Amino acid sequence: MEVELAEVRDFLAAHPPFDSLPGTVLDELPTRCTLRYARRGSLVLRAGLTNDRLFVVRSGAVDITDGTRLVDRVGAGGCFGMSALIEKAPTRYDVTAIEDTLLITIPQPYVDDLLEQHEPVAVHFAATHRERLRSALGQLQQPQRGSAVFRTSVRDLLRVTPVTASPDVSITEAARAMAEAGVSSLLLMEHGRLVGILTDRDLRRRVLAAEVSPDRPVREVMTPDPVTVRADALALEVLLEMTGRNIHHLPVLDEHDAVAGLVTTTDLVRLERSNPVYLVTDLERQTDVEGVVRLAGRVPRIVDQLVQEDATAADIGRVTAALTDALTVRLIQIAEAELGPAPASWCWVALGSAAREELALAGDQDNAMVLADDADPSHPWWGMLAERVVAGLEACGRERCPGDVMATNPRWRTTARGWRREFGRWSHEPEPDAVLAAAIFYDMRPVHGDTALVTALRDDVVALGSRSELLLAYLTGQAARQRPPIGFFRGFVLEDAGEHRDTLDIKRGISAVVQIARVHALRAASPVLPTSERLAVARARGVLSAEAATDLIDAFELMSYLRLRHQAEQARQGLTPDNHLNPSTLGSLDRRHLRDAFQVVRSAQHWLTTRLPQVP
Amino acid sequence: MRDLLRRPASPGPLADLEAAAEPARDTPVAELELVALDLETTGLDPRRHEVLSVGWVPVRGGEVVLGGARHLPVRPRGNVGDSAVVHGLTDDALASAPTLEEVLPEVVTALIGPGPVRRVLVAHFSRVETTFLGAACREAWGAPLRVPVVDTLEVERRLLRGTPHAAGAVRLDACRVRHGLPRYRAHSAVVDAIACAELFLAQCAVLEERLGRPVVLGDVRS
Repeated sequence: MEVELAEVRDFLAAHPPFDSLPGTVLDELPTRCTLRYARRGSLVLRAGLTNDRLFVVRSGAVDITDGTRLVDRVGAGGCFGMSALIEKAPTRYDVTAIEDTLLITIPQPYVDDLLEQHEPVAVHFAATHRERLRSALGQLQQPQRGSAVFRTSVRDLLRVTPVTASPDVSITEAARAMAEAGVSSLLLMEHGRLVGILTDRDLRRRVLAAEVSPDRPVREVMTPDPVTVRADALALEVLLEMTGRNIHHLPVLDEHDAVAGLVTTTDLVRLERSNPVYLVTDLERQTDVEGVVRLAGRVPRIVDQLVQEDATAADIGRVTAALTDALTVRLIQIAEAELGPAPASWCWVALGSAAREELALAGDQDNAMVLADDADPSHPWWGMLAERVVAGLEACGRERCPGDVMATNPRWRTTARGWRREFGRWSHEPEPDAVLAAAIFYDMRPVHGDTALVTALRDDVVALGSRSELLLAYLTGQAARQRPPIGFFRGFVLEDAGEHRDTLDIKRGISAVVQIARVHALRAASPVLPTSERLAVARARGVLSAEAATDLIDAFELMSYLRLRHQAEQARQGLTPDNHLNPSTLGSLDRRHLRDAFQVVRSAQHWLTTRLPQVP
Repeated sequence: MRDLLRRPASPGPLADLEAAAEPARDTPVAELELVALDLETTGLDPRRHEVLSVGWVPVRGGEVVLGGARHLPVRPRGNVGDSAVVHGLTDDALASAPTLEEVLPEVVTALIGPGPVRRVLVAHFSRVETTFLGAACREAWGAPLRVPVVDTLEVERRLLRGTPHAAGAVRLDACRVRHGLPRYRAHSAVVDAIACAELFLAQCAVLEERLGRPVVLGDVRS
């Protein structure tokens, strides 16, 4: 109707959620509105009073506080007053004009109409952050388009039906069957079930070299109950597993435990050239550090490609961790070739985000070595190997840890017994540093060597830690302390005290979720590592509500994804990837979703501080 | 005197306005019925110049009620002349509009609030609105327009008293900038009426702060 109200109409049309409304609704909207003015410093809404309208800031700005804490700061185009409208309860917040402010107000009945008739408006004002985060992730990532890396399951690698035989046939008959079919392995089946595997290598080592009669039944020389894999497993992970274990043939089972086929390392060649699996196979051929470093240069491009393909941050983190593992293993093997075999049994350990398989492109290396109890930690071999591997990783783009939590530090290169002693230290001198050291034990994953050393160590400390209220209280305090920002205001990052920053350190929000998840997983005495899995465990054990767990998982995924996107973009431009996002280059939608993620983290931290004992 | 005897005193809407109660000077602004009103004219003299449009918006309970905003184009008797450049109103656009005489009853009715009570007319440099509408009422009904008036230009002068300011400092746009109000892209009678209404709310907020009590009509009335 009144085209004369075009100023108000156009203003609303330029800001979410009103920008999603059809033109006819926008034309009418201003006639439902009133305008209000608030002088700088004056109270617009008072906590405890009922509010019957939605406010849109036309010009100026307001602070929303819950009595003491700043909850949000809203500038032109932003809305407030909605929570009381939706909850039909008195508002919980004070709203104060921090500048002379002109406000557009929309009365409750009309707001109700908008919510009911226009889905995007309802989503925008959803009472919780959950739906908004869900839809944000849905928009950012479309798994159906998915990445070639994650589309490729083991099933896609299966070509021909495997050659099978009964375990009761003679070795000669088995060898003849293999020769006729032109294959290098034979699956032995009994009553439709896989009971063993025979390979060319077995014929060499267990028959010819051992002088076993070829008339004996094949059952005596086969590998019984071989390692198998599900057909829906990710090709990349399976192939990494095979190279790691030095297995060349892996039977594949379907969901009914029937044999679906056989995957061999030669199946790799049929994958797309851009597949990260190629990096791993190329690594196998490198005999010097320079070659490894050259291949490491491909990692940012792989991550960039995965981001472009809308893979999830969780998946990209897994791939990046797997590639970093492969680089590390190759560096260790090259070092071992030069230094000779290790003087005792040992294991190379990934710590921190590498252990949780949440690697981004930026970030320093955190690693350690666990030696068998009969090893002499002062033997020079350990230090020489550590220095070579750490220097190699540094050349690959992983900076040395500023806190010196690396295998090159003798403190983090000791026997399993020494590690247990280290773990006990915090209980004698419970101070922040000791707690930080204790936290290292919870994000620890074996990468190469005698993995049982690390598994046993972790089993012990997780059990011990979960029973220690003092340690839990320290970790809780730590998890609650590092608060993410409140949100954004006029292209700046808005911090707790109302001050503004030019850039957003996204790592603050991400590591806050990591710490929260770690506390919850430890309370549940769970050894799982990835943050989202820890939160799922906490939910399953009733430590965390289903809503809180889902919110945190989504917030974590969103922040991690935006960080990866930022870092991939930096790498593409030849810059060194970092954690600092520029709010002015983020889209308004990303800013809004990030703000939701921050709120989720903040409320989870609030929950921790109010519900769990803590030592600040 | 003879004219008054011969003609019926203020018939129609103007009589209703005369009959409506005048708000007391000590009425808090928040309880007042007000109308911010703006005329677009070809000049400042009602005897020589013409009204081209009327726009207004009610102000009630400390809020500008956008749903009550009205904008009426008016057909002038003569040519629009040079002022078309200012207003963007051309002869053609106004050719089909009603005359001032025809829109006058609706304008006057808008000045009567429930009760009935006389609404307070709010305008920036209100002499244009009062003289043009007064002359039109006299011509139509032989009686003057009598409404309480708040002139936001006068209020701004009072707020600025004692502080040195340039000549243009009390123009509507300059006043709005001073009070942190947004700049409007277009100018029309109703946009300026809304702009004036917003300015009035801002001025009341400053006055209230200075007085340390709610602003009453007597504080702002011309």
